[in-house]
Amino acid sequence: RRGLGVAAGPPSTRQLREAEEAAPVFQYVGKAAKRKDRVFVWGFSYSGALGVPSFVKPDAGWKKPRRIQPTPYRLETEEKISSAACGYGFTLLASNTRDITKVWGTGLNKDSQLGFQRSRRDQTKGYEYVLEPSPIPLPLEKPQQTRVLQVSCGRAHSLVLTDSEGVFTMGNNSYGQCGRKVVEDEIYSGSHLIHQLKEFDSEVVQVVCGQDHSLFRTRKGSVYACGWGADGQTGLGHYNITTVPTKLHGDIAGVNIIQVSSYGDCCLAVSDEGEVFGWGNSEYLQLASVTETTQVNVPRHLPFKIGKVKEAACGGTGNAVLTEEGNVFVWGYGILGKGPNLMETAVPEMIPPSLFGWSDFSPDIRVAHVRCGLSQFAALTNRGELFVWGKNLRGCLGTGRMEDQYFPWRVTVPGEVVDVACGVDHMVSLVRSFT
Amino acid sequence: LNAAPGRAPRQRVRFLPAPAPGGGGAVELVAARVPVLADHPLVRGPRFKKLKIGAGHRLDVKASGVFVLGVGHGNKLLTDLYNCHLTKVYIVGGLFGKATDDFSDTGNLVEKTTFDHITREKLERILAVIQGTNQKALLMYSNIDMKTQEAYELAVKGLIRPMEKCPPIITAVRCLQFALPEFQLEIHCLHETQQYLRKMVHEIGLELKSSAVCTQVRRTRDGVFTVDDALPRTQWNLQSIQEAIQNCQLKVETELERTLG
Repeated sequence: RRGLGVAAGPPSTRQLREAEEAAPVFQYVGKAAKRKDRVFVWGFSYSGALGVPSFVKPDAGWKKPRRIQPTPYRLETEEKISSAACGYGFTLLASNTRDITKVWGTGLNKDSQLGFQRSRRDQTKGYEYVLEPSPIPLPLEKPQQTRVLQVSCGRAHSLVLTDSEGVFTMGNNSYGQCGRKVVEDEIYSGSHLIHQLKEFDSEVVQVVCGQDHSLFRTRKGSVYACGWGADGQTGLGHYNITTVPTKLHGDIAGVNIIQVSSYGDCCLAVSDEGEVFGWGNSEYLQLASVTETTQVNVPRHLPFKIGKVKEAACGGTGNAVLTEEGNVFVWGYGILGKGPNLMETAVPEMIPPSLFGWSDFSPDIRVAHVRCGLSQFAALTNRGELFVWGKNLRGCLGTGRMEDQYFPWRVTVPGEVVDVACGVDHMVSLVRSFT
Repeated sequence: LNAAPGRAPRQRVRFLPAPAPGGGGAVELVAARVPVLADHPLVRGPRFKKLKIGAGHRLDVKASGVFVLGVGHGNKLLTDLYNCHLTKVYIVGGLFGKATDDFSDTGNLVEKTTFDHITREKLERILAVIQGTNQKALLMYSNIDMKTQEAYELAVKGLIRPMEKCPPIITAVRCLQFALPEFQLEIHCLHETQQYLRKMVHEIGLELKSSAVCTQVRRTRDGVFTVDDALPRTQWNLQSIQEAIQNCQLKVETELERTLG
């Protein structure tokens, strides 16, 4: 308040400057503030796969059930999630912590693909739909030392990869996809059985689930498979089911494979020299570059002249690969990402980099990862932006619109997207905040 | 302008009486070219009494830079250029640590915050996201059906542009200089106002969990006109203006033809 001897009127420059310097300084975040890791989900929610119970069963009077979440929605998790996988109506989230609880599951559990979730109403039965990320009890020998490296989900089964105790499988085993003998008339719902697989030539470094089969990649660069084989997706030279993980030969024998991918009935593998190998279903021209047959049961080398391949992703009817230069090539059938006119091709076609934000103004934008859902594609750039395209089944693209997307479209996520997992009708992304 | 030599007066053919060659008092009509008296400077007066000058895109009092003006017939070209919806380039200077009520450094102080946690990386991440969301807005407001092959081809070439009224859209942002607490951005935008740019600087500050004010807004390009074409204060005379108009004529014509057909 001014004193009696001070003149009235607008404050002089000196007074303003002094007032400014005397003003208190607020600190919102310190110098050593770390960026936070978050999980965002979007897509069809009634299966419980999004992990938000209020979407399915509103807990307040004014809330309405939300069938579809069209834009990314933040999912609160107790721990930092390092790996996520989307199956057909369910999701697995894993953290590489040393705590007892390492894996959480949410969504469909009719085949115990999320392990046994004890129902609170009836202690003998399990939940068929899990609406919230719930811990999955793994039968670990050293639960406070083992870390979970990666999770993967298929149609009705899931795989959990640990660093020292092999692979744990759970869920439907009607075709041996869990790596154990098929038990006739086994009831999978409410089952406590989680099988452990350790018999591989070296440590398993990547697990991949196809629709009803499982692929394991070991440190030595070999690939093992088990499960349904009617389309040759096990790659073992026959069309029968396999109940024990068996090593693949064919064109990948002796080749150091650095990545495998599968989601439907077709499989792709990338070697350390950048060559692509494929086997499985070829009804949609996925392997038409080497053969006319619609089922290939032995891995075949795909002679593409597109440069050294870094990563491959298999969808239901379309495939995508990422080269070392950061270009994305797509082939197969369906919405491939080059406009409505390109619906099928047997030879990979490049998606122009300008669609991912590359321009004269920002020439160092590259695609860092590609992922596939059943009929969707997702690409992550080195700037942390997420681009999606494909069939927008029940809002799974996350663009906010319900129409199919014929070319790559940005998804607005409040943060830098580190990884994304695509499912049939939902997607999960692991995001780091900006500051 | 009025002192410059004007057009020569119009001529017309008149049949004037002249004495006949034969002599005597007979008068015959002879055709002669005479200047029209209505064109005589003493009758007509000064050629230019008023000049119609129109302004292009608005520029704030606190901002500086390229300001396009149209003279006389150029005003029609101004409306055409407005309908071309070309981007403008601004250099925006900002200062971290303060927040004021009108988002510039001359306003009333609202809050002071710390800013030592801000790095160039974080700023560039925020800028990348701003660009991304505005890219989406660009595609949405351009009113093309996303499902057509034509939309795909335009998107590949980067030629999708809204051709009608739409809210401000930023097509590209880049950080030019970063020296805490100051920073400088280069912004390419459409349909914006300078206050919107200042608000954006404020929002960038908020996003970085601090606060920022805008110290400088300078327009370096307005459609086809750059700083090189612009006349500084010392060159605001007739000669330079005429030269500048002539130099830009070709550029403006080609741009109009390309966009409006």
